[in-house]
Amino acid sequence: MSFSIQLFEKIKQYASPKEISWIEAKINGNLQTLQTAFVATPRFISKNPIQSTDIINDVCINEWPLDRLVRLYLLTLLNSTDKEAYTKTIDTLFETAENNEAVALISSLPFLVFPDYWMLRATDAVRSNNGLIFDAIAFQNPYPKQHFSELAWNQLVLKCIFNDKSIHRIQGLNERANQELANSISYLAHERWAAGRTIPAQAWRLVSRFMNDMILSDICTLFLSQNSNDNIAAALVCNETDFLAAKEELKKYFELYQSVQNEQITWQTLEA
Amino acid sequence: MCQKHSEISQNPSHFEGTAEEHELSKTVQANYMDYIKDMKFFDPHIHMTSRTTDDYTSLIDAGVVAIIEPAFWLGQPRTGLASFKDYFSSLVGWERFRSSQFGIKHYCTIGLNSREANNEALAEQVMEILPLFLYKEGVVGVGEIGFDDQTAAEEKYYRLQLELSKDAGLPVQVHTPHRDKKKGTELSMSIALEHGIDPSMVIIDHNNEETVESVLDQGFWAAFTIYPFTKMGNERMVELVKKYGSERIMINSAADWGISDPLAVPKTAALMKIKGISDEDIRLVTYQNAIDAFAQSGQINVADFESPLVIDQSLKFNGNTVLRGGQIPRVDKNSIFIS
Repeated sequence: MSFSIQLFEKIKQYASPKEISWIEAKINGNLQTLQTAFVATPRFISKNPIQSTDIINDVCINEWPLDRLVRLYLLTLLNSTDKEAYTKTIDTLFETAENNEAVALISSLPFLVFPDYWMLRATDAVRSNNGLIFDAIAFQNPYPKQHFSELAWNQLVLKCIFNDKSIHRIQGLNERANQELANSISYLAHERWAAGRTIPAQAWRLVSRFMNDMILSDICTLFLSQNSNDNIAAALVCNETDFLAAKEELKKYFELYQSVQNEQITWQTLEA
Repeated sequence: MCQKHSEISQNPSHFEGTAEEHELSKTVQANYMDYIKDMKFFDPHIHMTSRTTDDYTSLIDAGVVAIIEPAFWLGQPRTGLASFKDYFSSLVGWERFRSSQFGIKHYCTIGLNSREANNEALAEQVMEILPLFLYKEGVVGVGEIGFDDQTAAEEKYYRLQLELSKDAGLPVQVHTPHRDKKKGTELSMSIALEHGIDPSMVIIDHNNEETVESVLDQGFWAAFTIYPFTKMGNERMVELVKKYGSERIMINSAADWGISDPLAVPKTAALMKIKGISDEDIRLVTYQNAIDAFAQSGQINVADFESPLVIDQSLKFNGNTVLRGGQIPRVDKNSIFIS
C-alpha cells in the first residue's frame, strides 16, 4: 500500500531542484537515515503551501505546507518488513515530536502500515488539548472514519462540537452518525441551555435519522430560538427525518418550510 | 515606578541617581507602561512551564513578542529518562502551542542542566536523546548548561554538550553559578574556548558587576537576569548599561517557580527610558541583541513576531473558546462574577 511514487510526483511540482536533490539523497536510506531526515526536513524544505485538489489515499493535501508532504513521503519509504523495527522507528518520532512533526505524523496515519497498531496515537490526538494536533486527526483525515470504534468516533465529534469547531470538515460525518451520538448531542444542548449557552446549529444535522421524543422537544426549542441559525437547523432536521411528528412541526413555520423545500437553506448555510 | 520620594529620603542608598533623576522620579507616572509604548521585547530566558496563563497575557500586553525557554531542572531532581524526554517534548510541543495562543512566539534551548549532570547514570542516558531534540524546529541553542556546584561531573557534561553544539551549529546558553560565580564564569569561558567555540556563539548568562567586563572583553555575549534578591536588580542594570553601553549585552527575566518577575524585561526598559538611556540602546539590550545571538541557529525568522502573530481561532484548547474573535479574552480580575 505504498503511495510513494504518487507523492514524489506531487512534491516535484512544488520543490526546487535543490530541495529535490536533498530528498533524493535520503530516499535509499535505512530506517535511521529516514527517521533523521523526517526530523530535519524543515531545515532543507520550504513551507510553501500545496495548492491542489488531488486526493491521494482519500487524503486531501490542499493547503499542506510542502515540508509536511515531504515528511509523509519519507514515512511511506520506511521498510515495514520487520514490523518491530518499523513501528519502533515511528513510535520514537511520535514520542519526541515537535508540533509540526506531530501534525505530520497524525496526518500520515492513513498511509502507515499496520493501521490498528496506531489506534492509541489517533485517539490520543483526539484527547489532545493542542489544537494543531486535534485538528490533524479530526479534519482532512480518513483514519477515524475507517478505524475508530463508535465510542471513539462519538468522542471525536462531540469534542469538535464542544470546542466550536466546524464538524463538516470531519470525513465520514454522515455515514458514521448514530443513535448514541444523537442522544449525546441532545444532552450537551440541555447542559448548555441550562447554563445560558448554546451549541453550534449545524450539530443538529447528526440527529435527523435518530429522532425520538426527547430530540423532537429539542427541535421545538430550536424553532423558538432567537438565533436564526437554530431555526434553520430545526427546519432542516424536520425535513430530513422520517419522524412524522417532526414533519408536522415544520408545517407550523411556513416560511422556513418553503425555504427548505426550495433548497434556499441547506446544511451548507450553517457551515462556518 | 514604586519609589516614592518619601521613601527615597529615608533610604537614600536605594536610589543614588542624579538630581535630575530625583526630580524625574517624583513625577513618574504610576504606570511604567507609559514609558514603553510601541516598544517590543524579546525575553531570551524565561521558564514558562512554571508560569500561568495570566503571565502570558501580561507579557503580550507589555510588548513581549517572543521568548526563549531554556531547559532546566524542575525544582527537584528527575528520577528517570522518560521525564526528561517528556519535558523536552513539552518545550517543543504543548508549551509552544500554549504560548502561540497568546500571540507570543516561543523558542527553546535544549540541554542537560548542571545540577542533574551530577546524576551520572541518568546523565549518560540524557546525552543519548539530546541530538533528537537539538535538530528540531525552533530549537535555538544548547542550554542552559554550565556549572552549578562546579563538580567534575558538571564539567564532563558541559564539555560533551559543547561538542554537540558544534555539531549542530547551535549557540550555547551558559548558566553561571550562584556560588563562586566569578570563578565559575571564567572556567565556563575558558573551557568553551578550549573546545574551539567562537565566543560569538556563546551567551554567558546571569552576569553581574563582577563578571561582565571579562565576558565582554573576551568577545562573549553578556546576558543579565533581572531577578529579585539573588541576581540583578534593574537599577543596577541601568548603571551597567550606562557604563558598558549596549554592545553584546542583553537582559532577561529567568522567571520560573521562584519569586521572579516575568515582566522584568519591559520594566527594566521603562526604567532605562526614565533614566535617560537612548531608545536605540534600550532596543538593543531588550530585543535586538538576543535575536542576533540566537538567530545564529538559523531557527529564528523575525517575520514570525515582528508583525503581530495571527492567532488562529480554530486552535482552541481545553474546551475554552480562548480566542473568540481573534482576541485574547479579557477577564476582569476585579469582578466577582465568573461567566
